[in-house]
Amino acid sequence: MTTVLATAIIVVALLIAGYALVTALRGRAMGLPDLIGLGVLELLLAAQAVVGFVKLSGDEGPKHPATFIGYLLGVLLIPVAGAAWGLMERTRWGSAVLVVAGIAVAVMIVRMNQLWSGSA
Amino acid sequence: MPEPDTGVTGEPAAARTGGERVRTGTGSGPGRLLVAVYAIFALAAGARAGVQIGTQFSDAPLAYSLSAFAAAVYVLATVALARGGRTSFRVAITACSVELAGVLAIGTLSLVDRSAFPDATVWSGYGEGYGFVPLVLPVVGLLWLRRTARRARAGG
Repeated sequence: MTTVLATAIIVVALLIAGYALVTALRGRAMGLPDLIGLGVLELLLAAQAVVGFVKLSGDEGPKHPATFIGYLLGVLLIPVAGAAWGLMERTRWGSAVLVVAGIAVAVMIVRMNQLWSGSA
Repeated sequence: MPEPDTGVTGEPAAARTGGERVRTGTGSGPGRLLVAVYAIFALAAGARAGVQIGTQFSDAPLAYSLSAFAAAVYVLATVALARGGRTSFRVAITACSVELAGVLAIGTLSLVDRSAFPDATVWSGYGEGYGFVPLVLPVVGLLWLRRTARRARAGG
């Protein structure tokens, strides 16, 4: 994993969560800014997946990479699922789901960093 | 929030929104949030169980079987909550109850007999590895189910 990319992902994910929280508290449904944010997040995650696999094949990273690969691919689903959900539920609760999605991505990246460095 | 569920516009619209409401009662509005968190846990627990069983099952068969069981319960609860309806409601109640019992039983066991759980499951230490969310989730789920049931009774 690269620290720069991981940090960028965490920042973007938390920004999305924060923005969606404000939207939810104002009682609004998800809007275009949320979608753009999720798009950027998904691109960053895709980049991370590519970098991750390249580094893994270069003999870096955890000794048993199965769990790490699970996270690497699993996290890709979350922005997509969040966007789909936010588009389906046109109430404040659609925005609230994005808060969960943003925090979940941030937590997963932190966990992936631990797996990568073997500290957990 | 105004909800268009008063059937002033005519019979078909009223029937449609009424049916919609019964069908998705547990999975709409705030329920979305619950289903989202459940979905993430189903994903996390499922992936963890898959990896554990696939790569090192003989190390801790009990813990890994429980991981798989926990994952199955999460998937069941997610689907039941998202679907709504009468049967799903019962399934969701059962899944949440099993989950609550599981997290309490396994949480206690994992503290009492650490040797049986050399590797963590989602429910070890009352879900401490997951910010105690596994402990809170079934309680919130059951409260939410009770609320939607009351609302359905009041509305119907």
